[in-house]
Amino acid sequence: MSNGEHVRWEELELFALGAMPEDEAAAVRAHVSGCEECAAQLAQARGQAALLAFTAKQERPAGTVKAELMARVRANREAEQRNAWPAKLASGRANEVRRQLPETSGAWWKWVLVPVAAALAVVSFALSWQNRRITAELEREHKAAEALIHDHERIEKLVGVLAAPDTVTVKLAGVGDAAKSSGMVKFNAKAGIVLYTAELPELPASKSYQMWLVPANGAPISAGLMGPGGNAWGNMWTAEVAANTQAKAFAVTVEPVGGMAQPTGPKVLLGAM
Amino acid sequence: MTPQSTPGETTTDWSLLARIGQRDEEALSALYDRYGGLVFSEAKRILRDSGAAEEILQDLFFQVWRTAERFDPAKGSLAGWLLVAARHRAISKLRQKSGSSEELDENSVSLDLNIESHTTQKLLLDKVRNVMGSLPENQREALECSYFEGMSHTEIAKKTGEPLGTVKTRIRSAMETLKKVFR
Repeated sequence: MSNGEHVRWEELELFALGAMPEDEAAAVRAHVSGCEECAAQLAQARGQAALLAFTAKQERPAGTVKAELMARVRANREAEQRNAWPAKLASGRANEVRRQLPETSGAWWKWVLVPVAAALAVVSFALSWQNRRITAELEREHKAAEALIHDHERIEKLVGVLAAPDTVTVKLAGVGDAAKSSGMVKFNAKAGIVLYTAELPELPASKSYQMWLVPANGAPISAGLMGPGGNAWGNMWTAEVAANTQAKAFAVTVEPVGGMAQPTGPKVLLGAM
Repeated sequence: MTPQSTPGETTTDWSLLARIGQRDEEALSALYDRYGGLVFSEAKRILRDSGAAEEILQDLFFQVWRTAERFDPAKGSLAGWLLVAARHRAISKLRQKSGSSEELDENSVSLDLNIESHTTQKLLLDKVRNVMGSLPENQREALECSYFEGMSHTEIAKKTGEPLGTVKTRIRSAMETLKKVFR
């Protein structure tokens, strides 16, 4: 495998490319983990092999992937902020008490200062707790006000879409086991707004109905769920898709709760534009 | 307050990473716009499944969000890492391996090429395709079997019925030609 102590460049290339059988690859991995020089060479070989990625046909992922990623990131950031608060409070209070203690050990007045510092820490903690409670209350109020404004804007937008002359109505007919079911979609391509309603049989708790916009070109685009996780407005469901998406049909399928990126379950409703 | 780039400023990967380290969502969004298509296309080429490729894409960028501070501009290439890590995960999925067995260190890929804009990416794309197009069919096939299907040279030899030594030589010759991209 090796020339002297190091792995040969040709072997690193094979390893980086993934062309080395597992037993030989394991030996290279073991050597590289302890050899900075070979690790640096392997990094170069990996970069060279990565060029092959450019030979793949270039395609764009669905827009929902980025939206889901950013929602995941936001939730992670909020969780980090929530967890950072008590830790900062605790370490800040401990440092404060430490700073107040004199350097000399064994001094008689330490016995007076320590209880005083402890009492101060208790008072400080109580005040901090109260402050945090008030801040949380204000934050809740602020969020509620924001939600009201957001709801108002959303309702105005949806009413506008229902009244718009370029909003089209698509009737959905039941297929397969749901032949007796029906539904209706109101779609405004310019605004990218989909409103819909349907009469469908009850599903088990593990399943959801999911609406799909079938574009003129490309894979179906999710237009939301009819149930938990979906956006309800009165007796209708709503969803937003990219503005100016050209639809050729709408369909409803049965999917696992939470929905799927692409349809996987049976089709229950279908309507062409 | 999060730092913002001024209009017209060329935002490097590393300045985006520094902002991601400060929890700047816009920086992650910009990084996704820069490399999301490349990573997705590579994973889809391997898995031939958009949903599975999108899952890898999202997980990779979420990892960048969580571990931005581990990337070191002096040691590795972010773009290179994204491509190599996407391949690792896609091949693991393709071959039903457990994906966590070999996590790729954030600074273990070096790529001495600047692909921070879509223009430079397009130029490199053309260059790589030209070089690959100049390879004999059997060399190109051997490279693609390894990179996109995760096949070892032994497996390629078995598949093609060629001697192992011939397959190794083809791969090495092809890799030698691929170096032209860096010149």
